[in-house]
Amino acid sequence: MPFIPWAEAVYTFYMKAIVDCNSFYCSCERLFEPQLKTRPVVVLSNNDGCIISRSDEAKEIGVDMAGPYFKAKPLIAKHNVAAFSSNYHLYGDLSWRVMETLRTQLPPGCVEVYSVDEAFLNLEHIPLMQLSQAAMQLRETVEQWTGIAVSIGVAPTKVLSKIANRLAKKHKQATNCVLVLDTKRKTEQALQKTPIEDVWGIGYRHAVKLRGLGIETAYDLARQGPAWGSRFLGGVTGERLLRELNGMPSIEMEDPLVNKKMIATTRMFGSPVSRLCDIREAIATYTSRAAEKLRRQRGAASIISVFIVPKEDSHQTTFRHGPSISSYTSLPAATSITNELIKPAVSLADRLYEEGKLYKKAGVMLSGIVPDHSIQGNLFRPATDSNARMLMSMMDNINFAMRDDVLKFAASGTERNWKMRQDLRSPRYTTRWEELCQAK
Amino acid sequence: MDGEEWYGAAYKGSKKFNQWEIPTANATGFGAASDDYMERGIDLNEQLIRNKPATFFFRMNSDAMSGAGIFSGDVLVVDRSIKATSGKIIVAACNGELLVRRLKLHIKGITLLSENSQHKDIQVDEFAAYAPWGVVTYAIHPLG
Repeated sequence: MPFIPWAEAVYTFYMKAIVDCNSFYCSCERLFEPQLKTRPVVVLSNNDGCIISRSDEAKEIGVDMAGPYFKAKPLIAKHNVAAFSSNYHLYGDLSWRVMETLRTQLPPGCVEVYSVDEAFLNLEHIPLMQLSQAAMQLRETVEQWTGIAVSIGVAPTKVLSKIANRLAKKHKQATNCVLVLDTKRKTEQALQKTPIEDVWGIGYRHAVKLRGLGIETAYDLARQGPAWGSRFLGGVTGERLLRELNGMPSIEMEDPLVNKKMIATTRMFGSPVSRLCDIREAIATYTSRAAEKLRRQRGAASIISVFIVPKEDSHQTTFRHGPSISSYTSLPAATSITNELIKPAVSLADRLYEEGKLYKKAGVMLSGIVPDHSIQGNLFRPATDSNARMLMSMMDNINFAMRDDVLKFAASGTERNWKMRQDLRSPRYTTRWEELCQAK
Repeated sequence: MDGEEWYGAAYKGSKKFNQWEIPTANATGFGAASDDYMERGIDLNEQLIRNKPATFFFRMNSDAMSGAGIFSGDVLVVDRSIKATSGKIIVAACNGELLVRRLKLHIKGITLLSENSQHKDIQVDEFAAYAPWGVVTYAIHPLG
């Protein structure tokens, strides 16, 4: 046996990975428009407000992430950048395809979808020596099947895999978008190259604090003990973070089917709104959407809250959200029926509304969510309830099949003056027959 | 069809079925004898979609492949997981356009063959921005 210094020691427990799509929204736009391959691309948030995704080329010419669109406009014109409104129908479908591809390639239950473009993988079935090759193959399969390029970071813990992923993305040429931290030495090097603010779970505030304590890189942080983490980084979370940085798994894979404890639907208005009837329509529409999500996870909500955000004075140039006005109410019984939720939501909105003010955003939040057992019928509630529930499931089925909310409550309105702006949206290539991609 | 041996005939379509969705002759209170022979009806997805996450639909917008039975307005079923080999009809990204052509790989390079004398074959030179997008597995053509 050759001598193995401690630094080369190989991890003995199973490895995790994070798969992260490269500039996901931009990649989706490029898939059906090959002429964009060499052009910088940006995707704008709801209402064409901010830039939420940039291709590498757009990053290079200095387009800011999350910067307001109007500020970047001169730069965008100068460099012939392609700008798109967000097309969530397309992104949602492609996200499903990426996750489904991963699921077909791994044993059941090994994929934890973390966000629209990220998934944690459990790689315990792959021998250490084959990890790099397996990850590479996974990356190639996803790109071949879905057309979306991904980066994969592999490490013994979730926090370290995030660090590996960031470096793989940063050095695409050298790593081929895959980085495996399978020895302590590699991990140390990766930690040294990671500034503290790029560690998963370290927010802006903590980063400033840590820099004040002389901690600049993830490596500096990893050398502190878990007790230190508990003291300076907020109790158990900090302790866990430090364990994870040192290669000791303490954030386990989660059941991907965990139901949400809170469901929110919020949107910016296309243009500021001052009439109460418009706000009521918007609130009713968001409530219907939230109730639909609630029924999809077979829940019932017992608390509903509503907020509306007034527009700041026009002389204010800083780009931040003004104070929001919110209010909530507890429902007499948990429910998932849209009309039972719209009524309290609209009366909350009535109470919040002030005549003569301009509003730019509104939202509805459902919480206190309990499982809706009465879907199977319940002795203690009147039978009419199950009729309402049947009505809801019929409505959901029809809306799912016909799209565009063909069935809705009258309170949601028909004019929709407040609807958001999406001037630059690409066709919904993968979800609508009438918008299929054309080939010659 | 290529890929058959990999993906098999297992159903990879979009619909979930269970035995309760199969209509039965329950009106009499007795099951009909044919109940024992009931099975799920034919679903076009089974035939047309081998690998769902990798299958995309396109609309044909030219007559360049009319000789191969693909006409303008047809829906194309495109599978990205099948390798684009010589002789296959593929969707190719060529100089910024998405083209449907028959792929020919030969010693001198890549040619995209059209199957209509009105359209020229395209010789893909080495500086062209070329990438195969996916393999066309079916064309759906309306009659009448």
